[in-house]
This record gives sequence, structure tokens and C-alpha cells, in this order.
Amino acid sequence: MRTMILLGIATFLGAADLSQVIESPDATAILKKDALLAPKIAVMIEGCISSDPAVIARGKYLFHNLNGKDTKEPAPEGLVKILPNGKEKQYGNCVACHNIEGAQGYGNIGPDLSNYKGFFMDSGARTSQFVYQKIADARVDNPKTHMTINLTNGLFSEREVCDLTSYIVSKK
Amino acid sequence: MRLLSVSTALVCLALFSGVNAEEKMSMSDADKAMYAEMLENNPADMDVVEGKELFNALTSQAVYGQMLGVKEKDLPSYIAGFPRFVKPAGKVVTLSQTLQMAAALGAKSVPKLESKEMLQMTAYLKSLANDQTTNIDVKANKQMQEMMKLGQEVFEERRGGRGLSCNSCHSPDVIGQRLRMQPLPDLGSKVNASAGTWPAYRMTKSETTLLDKRFQQCMDNALLAKIPLGSREMVALEVYITNKTKGNPSQIPGLKR
Ligand code: HEC
Ligand code: HEC
Repeated sequence: MRTMILLGIATFLGAADLSQVIESPDATAILKKDALLAPKIAVMIEGCISSDPAVIARGKYLFHNLNGKDTKEPAPEGLVKILPNGKEKQYGNCVACHNIEGAQGYGNIGPDLSNYKGFFMDSGARTSQFVYQKIADARVDNPKTHMTINLTNGLFSEREVCDLTSYIVSKK
Repeated sequence: MRLLSVSTALVCLALFSGVNAEEKMSMSDADKAMYAEMLENNPADMDVVEGKELFNALTSQAVYGQMLGVKEKDLPSYIAGFPRFVKPAGKVVTLSQTLQMAAALGAKSVPKLESKEMLQMTAYLKSLANDQTTNIDVKANKQMQEMMKLGQEVFEERRGGRGLSCNSCHSPDVIGQRLRMQPLPDLGSKVNASAGTWPAYRMTKSETTLLDKRFQQCMDNALLAKIPLGSREMVALEVYITNKTKGNPSQIPGLKR
């Protein structure tokens, strides 16, 4: 009986416009705000590469951790876990894609960066500037890269990209 | 079929468990045992049962079919073709959105896309197509063609804190590689049959999740701003990803890591 009545209503409304009741929020503003800037060439600042243990420690920490909430280890000098706005600081999580000395549970989407100094720097195959650019914005030499972008979008400061570069090219 | 896909998944896990068991492991032995047990007894089955009750309180298959201009007996195959263009909406919609239409038609309060009732009703409705294969037709009309194109754009657009896109982790050339300890799944494979296996119970989250909510979880993890449920872009993404599993069986509810 109830079905019959409902069927009646349905037939009556059959031609009705039901589009208004559908939840259909506008996402364009969100996407616009979230957009990535065009690929950008990045040049190392003065004194970028350093063998100072404090610099290497920061680079290492940025490489192996995801964010300030995810890690148990205390942050090294010069890095915070929680930002002034209360949000957790994001780190590189490079280990999600790259192996390197001491990496735990590393992924293999990107190349293995173990003994990077011996294999790539000492042989002259790579320069620090190359590594710096890769981390800052890998699209510059590979438009289709799967690697994260770290400087163009402001995830890291120039100093932090230098910390990471210093760590990778250092002897371990 | 379901057994086959699970044993493949377990073999994959076994292969990876030798690599580095310390941290970020995909699945521990205890988890594997739980997975095997849940296969017999998927907690999401309860959501389908409750979804049926909610659906019957909201509308009936006959009325729902009539709203969409489909005979009751053709509903399963029709349901296996979502997201699709439906006339009374005037656009391409998801199954959940048709439930909002059905609620309004019956003068009931319209459940939110985020709500648990919506999840359960969608799981039930989609389970009606369990004897079908996913049959989305992205060439059916102009609207579907547009949504397919938009979906691909959304899938490939690099954005967010790390400048990643869905494609960064789900493009054919990285499938099977590891992000941390997690093998990257092939969204189009027969084994995953991704679109056809959601809503699914996610063991790592201890909850049943809709396909579009699963997209949002990846967005969250990868620092992409979350696209709201029901938006044109989100529906388009569902069109694009569902098309990847076209022809694969629909198996609702799924069970995922
Ligand atoms: C989502 C995956 C992913 C993440 C995360 C990632 N990378 Fe990469 N990385 C790659 C891929 C893939 C390549 C290969 C080259 C390319 O596509 O640019 C690469 C290349 C590199 C190279 C160049 C190696 C060489 O000599 O050719 C360096 C250096 C590097 N990454 C460092 C980092 C650092 C530092 C981080 C973290 C801030 C990081 N990567 C995060 C995927 C990733
Ligand atoms: C940084 C890497 C990364 C990015 C970016 C990413 N995903 Fe994922 N995605 C994964 C991983 C890893 C899994 C498997 C997780 C698991 O097994 O728990 C996954 C799983 C999925 C699944 C479930 C597959 C199944 O088993 O049915 C879907 C659907 C999905 N992703 C869609 C998306 C969409 C849509 C986007 C973009 C908005 C996206 N992903 C972005 C890494 C990523």
C-alpha cells in the first residue's frame, strides 16, 4: 500500500528536478589554493654545503622523518617539531622512496642514495648543485618526476634544502 | 575470486616481510591471522545489513528504480555502472548522491554524504550488484566524457605541500614499488578491482570506508588538500578510477589492509 502511494509520488515527481538536493560543494577554490607553482631553478646560497655535525644532524633528521607528530626522537638543534601555529612541522620523509645509510623501512620508488659520496660525488658524476636542485624542484631536469617538490612550494627553507644536500653528499 | 585475491595479497606480504620487519611494516603475523579471520567474517557485512534496513525505511527498490527510470529487475546491472548521468539530477552522480535524491523524493530528511547512514546505505545499494561486473560507460554521453577528462586531470595534477599527484604513486611505472614498506597498488588490477571493492573494511583504520573517502585518506597522507565529497572534481575522480576497474567483478563489501 505504502509502496503504491510512493510510486504515485514518484511518477508525479518523475520529471522533477532533483539536482538541488544533491550535496555538491564547489572545490575550485580549494584546488586553486593548493596548486603547485611552475618549475623553478634553484641556486645554492653561500655556504650551503657544510660538514658541521649540527647541519648534518638536521639533514639526517629531515631525511628520515615524516613530520613532528610521527617521530619519537627529539628534534636536533635548529629544527622544531611543532610550528608556532600549533601544527606539526613537516619533514622530508625521503626514506619513503630512498634507501640510504641506516634507513629503516625504506621504499624504492627513488634511487638508492647509499654511499652517494663514493659513487656519485667523488667520481664527478654529480655536483652538490645537482643534488640541491633535485631536492628543491626535481621537475627542472625531469618534468615527469615522481619525486616530491620541496622548495618551490615553500615546504622547506633554502637552509633546510642545504641541510639535506649536505647530509646526502657527506661521508657516512 | 575473493579467496584468490587475498592469497595473492598474503603472498605479497610474505615477500616483503623479509625485508625489514622493524618499522612501518605492512602487516605483522598477528595482523595476517586477523586478516584471514576477517575474511570469513568481514565486519563491514554488518554495515550492509544495517544499510538495507535504512534503505527500506527511506525508499524501496521499486520507487528508487522508478526515480531513475529503471525496472527493478535491471537495478543490479544499472548500479554496477555508477557514477553515471541520471536525468532527474541533470548530471553525473555517485550512488550516494542518488540516495539523497531518493530521500528528497520521499520527503525524508536528506542524509549527508559524510554520515554513517549514507555509508551503510551506499554499501547495501552497491552490494545489490555483487553478481555483476563493473560496467561504467565513460563514452555514454557528453557529460560522462567530460567527467572522465576532468577526472584524469584531477588524478594527474600535482599539488599540496609536497607537490604530489595521485599519479605520483599510482602511475603504471611505479606500481608494485614500495613507499616505505607499502607496495603501491595497481588501481586497475583484477586482484584489487579497486572501485568494485569499496565500500571496504580497512583493518588499519578499523572502519568501513567509501571509495571517495579512501581518496581523501590518500590526499591526507600525501598532504594534498582534501577535495570535498560530492564536488564535481571528486565525482570525476571516481569516474576515472572506476573506469580503470571496468569489467572486474563487484565484491561489496571489500576487505583492505
Ligand atoms: C615519492 C617519492 C620520492 C620522495 C618522497 C623523494 N624522492 Fe628523491 N627521487 C625520487 C625519484 C623517482 C627520483 C629519480 C629521479 C627523478 O625522477 O627526478 C629521485 C631522485 C633523487 C635524487 C637524485 C639522485 C641522483 O643522483 O640521480 C636525490 C639527491 C633525491 N632524490 C633526494 C631526495 C630527498 C632529499 C628527499 C626528501 C626531501 C626525496 N628525495 C624524496 C622519488 C622520491
Ligand atoms: C604518496 C603516495 C600516494 C599518493 C600521492 C596517493 N596514493 Fe593512493 N595509495 C598509496 C598507497 C601506499 C596505497 C596502499 C595503502 C595500503 O595498502 O594501505 C594506496 C591506496 C589507494 C587506493 C586503494 C586501492 C585498493 O586497494 O583498492 C585508492 C583507491 C587510492 N590509493 C587512490 C588515490 C587517489 C585518488 C590519490 C590522489 C588523490 C592517491 N591515491 C594518491 C599511495 C599514494
